[in-house]
Amino acid sequence: MHKKPMQSRVARTGLAALAGSLLLAAPATADEMAEMVAAAQAEGQVTVYSFTSRIFRVETAFEAAYPGIDLVPFDISSTEQIARIQAELEAGIASADVAYLADAPVVVEALVDPGYLTGYVPPAFAARIPDEFEQPLMAHRLSTKVLMYNEEANPDGPPVMNLWELTTPDWTGRVVMVDPSTRGDYLDLLTELTLQSDAMADAYEQAFGMAISLDDGINNAGEQFIADLLANDVVFVSSTDDVNVAVGAVGQANPPVGFTSYSDRRDNEEEGWALQVANAVMPSPGIVYPAYLGILSNAPNPNAAQLLITFMMGDDSETGGSALAPFYVAGDYLTRTDIPPHPDAIPFDAFRAWRIAPEATREARQDVADLVLSLQ
Amino acid sequence: MVVRLGAGGFGAGRLRLSTLPLGTVAWGLVGLLVVVPLANIAIELASADGMQAIRDVFTGRIARNMLWLPLQNTLAIGVVVAVACVALGGLLAWLVTMTDMPLRRTIGFLAAIPFMIPTFSAALSWTVIFGDDRLGPASTGFLHALGVPVPAWLAWGGVPIAAVLIGHLYSICYLMIAAALVLVGRELTDAAEIAGASRWQTLSGILMPVVTPTLVAAGALCFAEAVSSFSAPAILGLPVRFHTLATRAYGAIETGNPERGYVLIATMIIVAAALLAVATLAGRRRRSFATVGGKGGRRIRMTLGPARWPLAIAALAVVLFTTVLPALALLLSSLSAQRGTVFGALTLHYWIGASDPAIAQGQAGILQNPQLVRSFVVTLGIGLATGLVALAAGAVIGAAIHRTQRRWAAAGLRQAAFLPLLVPGIAIGAAFIGFYGAPIGPLPSLYGTPMLIVIAGVAATLPFAVQSVTSALSQISPELEESARVGGAGPLRTWLAVTLPLAFGKLLAGFVLVFVKMVRDLDLVILLYTPQIPLLTVLAFRYASDGFMQFAHAVSVVILVLSVGAHLLANALGRSSQPWLKAPAG
Repeated sequence: MHKKPMQSRVARTGLAALAGSLLLAAPATADEMAEMVAAAQAEGQVTVYSFTSRIFRVETAFEAAYPGIDLVPFDISSTEQIARIQAELEAGIASADVAYLADAPVVVEALVDPGYLTGYVPPAFAARIPDEFEQPLMAHRLSTKVLMYNEEANPDGPPVMNLWELTTPDWTGRVVMVDPSTRGDYLDLLTELTLQSDAMADAYEQAFGMAISLDDGINNAGEQFIADLLANDVVFVSSTDDVNVAVGAVGQANPPVGFTSYSDRRDNEEEGWALQVANAVMPSPGIVYPAYLGILSNAPNPNAAQLLITFMMGDDSETGGSALAPFYVAGDYLTRTDIPPHPDAIPFDAFRAWRIAPEATREARQDVADLVLSLQ
Repeated sequence: MVVRLGAGGFGAGRLRLSTLPLGTVAWGLVGLLVVVPLANIAIELASADGMQAIRDVFTGRIARNMLWLPLQNTLAIGVVVAVACVALGGLLAWLVTMTDMPLRRTIGFLAAIPFMIPTFSAALSWTVIFGDDRLGPASTGFLHALGVPVPAWLAWGGVPIAAVLIGHLYSICYLMIAAALVLVGRELTDAAEIAGASRWQTLSGILMPVVTPTLVAAGALCFAEAVSSFSAPAILGLPVRFHTLATRAYGAIETGNPERGYVLIATMIIVAAALLAVATLAGRRRRSFATVGGKGGRRIRMTLGPARWPLAIAALAVVLFTTVLPALALLLSSLSAQRGTVFGALTLHYWIGASDPAIAQGQAGILQNPQLVRSFVVTLGIGLATGLVALAAGAVIGAAIHRTQRRWAAAGLRQAAFLPLLVPGIAIGAAFIGFYGAPIGPLPSLYGTPMLIVIAGVAATLPFAVQSVTSALSQISPELEESARVGGAGPLRTWLAVTLPLAFGKLLAGFVLVFVKMVRDLDLVILLYTPQIPLLTVLAFRYASDGFMQFAHAVSVVILVLSVGAHLLANALGRSSQPWLKAPAG
């Protein structure tokens, strides 16, 4: 039900690109842009909290485009950004200008509602971003936590076709993920499994040929899956990169599978990985969630903040130019409708991950977190 | 010959300074640094959310995995680490200071270094050696690569955590016990020998009673450090879901459940304090001995005979395994072209390379990174400031403890000053943000200023500072100060001319200890730093969490160089932190 606005994406691409370039060429926008650049250059600096290390590449591109403005990047997990921004705003400290973060279920309640973080949609892109991705904060792209496997060791496709196989002896100690007790996105993944319990129950029947029976204290098929996965010695690590190396490193005879970001496949060549998404797995490989860009309400450099967000949305070349290059990769789904899908990626329509509903996730999260804690 | 039994020799000979202002200032310091921020946590727990968290943690379905098992793990690690550190550190201290073991200067020098290696680096270097393939090829260590089967219990969980902490903390025991032994060596054992005591009688009748308080203090310190350690269990425990109270508290605070984290920390403090109180009572009857007397004496060393070389080789193996090996593992992995392959191709890219978009998102080598230079300067500044302030605070509090006539008041002050030992760094950080993060009356918020880090650092290192000061002061015989006073010197002049020079070596050692702890500590500052105050450990941690292990290890090497540099400088200042290494062999 969430996917609708993205469906006509390809068809709209040409038109939107045309409209976009017309908008950019419009005199009012150009004037505003020139004003913003001048004001940003007067500020001379912009500090970003980013949940991805790709911000370092944005830094290079941004400073090349605007030599007078120093971009100071900090790579901080979404969970930590939330705690940090809360603490800083409550203390009246103006440390950063822009926050680039996921963890949508918490961000809205903890940062947007109290007014700590405000949205900004660059006028030049407003027409090229679906409305649903403009509120409450603008989504830069959609990110993923999905089941990935090693395609070198499994050239014929994913070694599992159903999530429930991960609870069988074949996969004991061979499923890797980041500890959901310390990272919001992984907790969201497990929460989504419980919210999709009907699909999980169907998948169970498909896998084992019988209806699922629930253990004591377990309320639904999603919780049962979490319990069985933990009982099957799932390996918790501290970062997605640990998952990537464990699952993806080439030269392994019998590599594990794991939940990580689809887009980390982009580093396969550089890092010596063979990560591939198990898109066909039943009932779904995982979740898709928005990565937000917002401006801190006490940003010391508000103009440079707006300029950076505008810059991060890319330019009008076909794939968005150097600013979007770090994000124009297989596995990231950009919210700009005029950028063609990445040629190596599964088209968004065919990508089977569940879109999280932040509100429902937020309500169920604590219960799932406690369930995970109680089972370890 | 001065041997005073009883509670600290507060005898007639002590200087009679007015104790009230000193005591008031000391209590004010302890209050601002320790009591108030921690009380703030207690107040939070008394709120409705706090009471709910207490119920959840103690009786909810999460109780077993959130509280009871981690508590069990924490205490087991604490006891094992404390006992092992006292045994290992004590044995090394005895060998270096009291015997004719060969290579004792080298061994003594190296034995002080493990404390300077950041704990998370030490834990990472454990995986470089003992890691198995639970996390795939990235976690396989040297032994695994050689085809040596590494049992799972040696790769992950309680055993490696305890081993890493022992390898890290025995160093502190060594320093404390050696300092106590070397002071004993001079007169007391002479006297015993003159009186015709056998070697064993000297050891059991003179040495053990005199150093027992130090052994208890050293063990207590290691216990406290071990139970509150976060980095080692986080790295070596997580893959097998082995948790301690500190890792559980961190998880709770990080995921928006700070009250639950506070419940765990409060539980840890109460349980650990109760255990330490029992241990202190056991060693209480012989509290303080004035062992720096006014008379000189000849240093005697026990001859080890045929055991000389075997013992030297064993001791050397221990210190090399805990210093050179981790340092080498860090250095090598900062030079390896591909992470996880320590024994593959080498490159200097991560040190001096220019930006290359294909490597680490285009980050240049650390020596080309202006962030590193800033972090280095800020870290150095914060380390020095914390060292000076902590020692000054420690001197006031130590002097107040030393001079207070009322035993209960002295004990209370001492216990309060030692409280931060039991609080994990991350919790001290949380407490300080909670209390000093918001404006207090007319005072502005300290959050985002280096001041807050320095003050939190002083609080966290106060036990070390107070310990250095009190042990320095309590071992100076009153007869020295008395003779200065008899000679007509005022209290200040006496202090400057007699007390300070005599205590200087120990005070400097205390300063280096605080400085090193601050420079290499991550847990304390992880919540307190802001982009405007970059620190080396945070930089290393950021690199590590991005998977840029070579950068992380290169920064760790820089931290190590800074810490060891401080240690060497202190030694070179003449008042060595280990004066016994310079003493002529006798």
